[in-house]
Amino acid sequence: MFQNTKCECGHQNHIGTVLCESCGKPLGEELLSDEPLEMRYDGVARRSQKANPNFIDKIWNFFSSVKIAVYLIIITLLASILGTIFRQENLLNEDPATYYEIQHGTIGKIYYMLGLSHTYESWWYTTLLVMIGTSLVVCSLDRVLPLYRALSKQQIRKHLRFILRQKVVYQAQISGDETKIVSALGEHLKKKRYRVHMDGTALLAEKNRFSRWGPYINHIGLILFLLAVLARSIPGFQMDMYVAVQQGQTVEIEGTSYYIKNEQFTVDYYTDDELPDALKGTARAKLYETKAVLYECTANCNNVTQEPVLKEVDRHDIVMNDPLIYEGLKAYQSGFDATPRLEAVKPVIINKETGEEYGPFELEIRNPKTSFEVGPYKLELHSQFMEFAIGENGEPTTLSREPNAPAYLFILSGPELKAGGEPYLYFPNQIDKLQFNQDALNRPIADRFEIKVNGMENVKLSGPTTYLNIRKDKALPYIWIGATISMIGLIMGFYWHHRRIWLRVDRGELSLGAHTNKNFYGMRSDVAWALGKAGIEVDPKSLDNGGNKT
Amino acid sequence: MNYLEFSSDAFIAAFFLYCFGFIFYMIAIGGKKWSNRDPKAHVKRWSRIAFIVSILGLAAHLTFFFTRWYGSKQIPTSNMYEFMTFLGMSIMIAFVIIFAIYRTPLLGMFALPLTIIIVAYASVFPQEVQPLIPSLNSIWLKIHVTTAALGEAFFAVGFAAGLMYLLRVVDFKQTSQAAKRAQRWVEFTLYVLVVIIGFILTVFAFRGAGYEAQFLQEKVTIDNRGQESTTSETVMYTMPPIFKPYNSITQKMDSFLGMQEPLLETPSWMNGVNAGRKLNTVVWSIITGSLLYGIARLLLRKRLGAAIHPYMDGIDPEDLDEISYRAIAIGFPVFTLGALIFAMIWANIAWSRFWGWDPKEVWALITWLYYSAYLHLRLSRGWQGQRSAWLAVIGFVIVMFTLIGVNLIISGLHSYAGV
Repeated sequence: MFQNTKCECGHQNHIGTVLCESCGKPLGEELLSDEPLEMRYDGVARRSQKANPNFIDKIWNFFSSVKIAVYLIIITLLASILGTIFRQENLLNEDPATYYEIQHGTIGKIYYMLGLSHTYESWWYTTLLVMIGTSLVVCSLDRVLPLYRALSKQQIRKHLRFILRQKVVYQAQISGDETKIVSALGEHLKKKRYRVHMDGTALLAEKNRFSRWGPYINHIGLILFLLAVLARSIPGFQMDMYVAVQQGQTVEIEGTSYYIKNEQFTVDYYTDDELPDALKGTARAKLYETKAVLYECTANCNNVTQEPVLKEVDRHDIVMNDPLIYEGLKAYQSGFDATPRLEAVKPVIINKETGEEYGPFELEIRNPKTSFEVGPYKLELHSQFMEFAIGENGEPTTLSREPNAPAYLFILSGPELKAGGEPYLYFPNQIDKLQFNQDALNRPIADRFEIKVNGMENVKLSGPTTYLNIRKDKALPYIWIGATISMIGLIMGFYWHHRRIWLRVDRGELSLGAHTNKNFYGMRSDVAWALGKAGIEVDPKSLDNGGNKT
Repeated sequence: MNYLEFSSDAFIAAFFLYCFGFIFYMIAIGGKKWSNRDPKAHVKRWSRIAFIVSILGLAAHLTFFFTRWYGSKQIPTSNMYEFMTFLGMSIMIAFVIIFAIYRTPLLGMFALPLTIIIVAYASVFPQEVQPLIPSLNSIWLKIHVTTAALGEAFFAVGFAAGLMYLLRVVDFKQTSQAAKRAQRWVEFTLYVLVVIIGFILTVFAFRGAGYEAQFLQEKVTIDNRGQESTTSETVMYTMPPIFKPYNSITQKMDSFLGMQEPLLETPSWMNGVNAGRKLNTVVWSIITGSLLYGIARLLLRKRLGAAIHPYMDGIDPEDLDEISYRAIAIGFPVFTLGALIFAMIWANIAWSRFWGWDPKEVWALITWLYYSAYLHLRLSRGWQGQRSAWLAVIGFVIVMFTLIGVNLIISGLHSYAGV
């Protein structure tokens, strides 16, 4: 299709131009109407408006549409709502495979099967975000370049149709020196911080053009933000782990050369005096605090046989809202367990047949010695189980390295015992001893010998355990930079408005048109004020040329 | 403690000043057609009085806020009562800012009742000062909550102007299909507002009467391994039980209008926290609200919208359209800063991650996405005027759901702000 894009003023416009880039005369269909002009992007052709789009152009055109952008926003919005209907998997302690059906019945099962239980980690949600990002890039590039071109070379004398089809219009006969009146108006507008350009009896007053770049700066910030968010799924970009540290202990932070020590953990509750009546008697926490020390390992770090050499690098009282921060590594107060745990026991050996008692000997729960001499008896530690369980093959095994159910297999040798010793499985915790039925496991030796603790004075309990969340997130700086840029763009675009006034006098008739991208109310009052100063009293509302306002 | 008592008095003063301000606004608009006066002068005079009284109300409200802050040594934005009163105050501040730009005092006619409803709603919640739990003890409590609420307050003003626009332009005399649909929806919006008033009235009526009922509810939970366990829990009602909790027995119940036993039982599939009590409250609110609405219809002998519409004559709808849009445009950056950016900064300090898809976070994002869609649509032809006004109304519904609905229906990390 052939389209003549040359304006009567002689300017050659791009295809898709709505208003001549030079004189502003409406082109194409816009010419036929009498409605206020569509002033978006100053009527310039967007980059995507090409005569013969190829495949790549078509994709570009798809993403360059604001309509598509709005659809993408709405779809993401609806998808986000779906994710809040039931609790997301990452917030569950239960097994997701059964949780949804048990809690919410068939609907829950469908919810889980559709993958809505992890909406925000799903491939389609990520795809939506990527599409929004693409749309942000394409929409912005498509408009900002032509707009920049149009705004940086504006003609002062605009076509009369352009002026009279603005949303703010004034037209009247004037008498006197035309140039004088125009330049007087220009002087008044300067007081309102307009930049005034004159061309004989034509005038262009403009202010706050920079606010037009606000949306694009905002979009740049959002793109950076989205990229940073997407980058977090790259392995190694972030670290998120929990460590449990008993009071007084030092624990290695896996994957780093750091060790962290819990010198003391405190939990404080509000007293009844501090609480209102309705809350009296409830345990309302006031403070959780871990006095933490961070060490860096300087030698023997991955050496099992030797103790690592640690150097203190930082020390901080970690409380909620105040983590330990050291070179990008952060340790947050996350939880605690005040249930006391065994640290060491002092059991004795009893010969049941004679009633003789030997000992006690000290058994450290985490790092027991490997052999003990108790009276005439000798105990060799054969193996230890921190969380004892019977494995599938019937053999004893341990579920973890945390001493949740410690058990020790000793080889007991001495008088009245077989040569080479006899095995004895010992559970320091009374509750484990009963649960796993220690005596049955140890039969027949259990009828003759017993290892047990006499009284609580022979039990050493540990202090509370603090749970720290250790984090490293390389994307964070980009997140904050993106958010800041975006915020700057929003402020520029929303709190300042680009205002322009075009004016020309033709044979004693003054024609004025004004346009702003937002806030026509303010635009009209600016025009009415300037006209008033020049001796032309008008009601701001009367300048309204109708049409829709943006 | 004296400061706290003084601050409660200031709060009551603010509430009544707002009510008077609203009444004066109604005189300003309603008295236009009274005889022996110039309508323009009348509106000008009374809307001025109304505006001054509302400003006094805001001053009392600010006094409440700062004396409570001083008296309790923590910023009063840490539970639902404090937050909702703060939101009401923010709406007044946003109204004053928009007023300073547009000089349309009649906007107060809609901003004020909104503030009154929100402040009254706040009073439904326990009013004692609750000492801060460790996760709230941060400077960001002050920064995040106040900025977010201010942004939402501008959305509220956008909603008020949008609703005003609808009442101004939706002609209740027209009978075309489109006009009828618009009429129905405007009327429904007003009905919902009446139901909310009904809820507040019901709460205070039964609280005044000291009504109580108590149930023992048995809950069966099945854990991962398929083992059943039963727990029983006492549930207190402060409104007569139309719906008792599911699977519960009545322990104690004051009689109400001869009603000795609960009428119905909450269905089992409603299994949220206190589902029975919430359902009962909702049903009561709808009953009271519908009664109120019915009485209003009987007195007016026409639909509420049709009754209000003539009074809106003389207000320029295009101004309202612009005010609605402008309020949202001013609020959007504030909301972005407060509800998303500051929220992320705080979450990163308190919860060790800047974003965790907690329901409240997601709903703040939904609100933000919604208003960004709105702002983009405003750029297109045909999305100004009525459509835009409806978007402003729906947007505020989303805001309120984020603030209240999420806490009532979905639980999450923000639950300390709950009921």
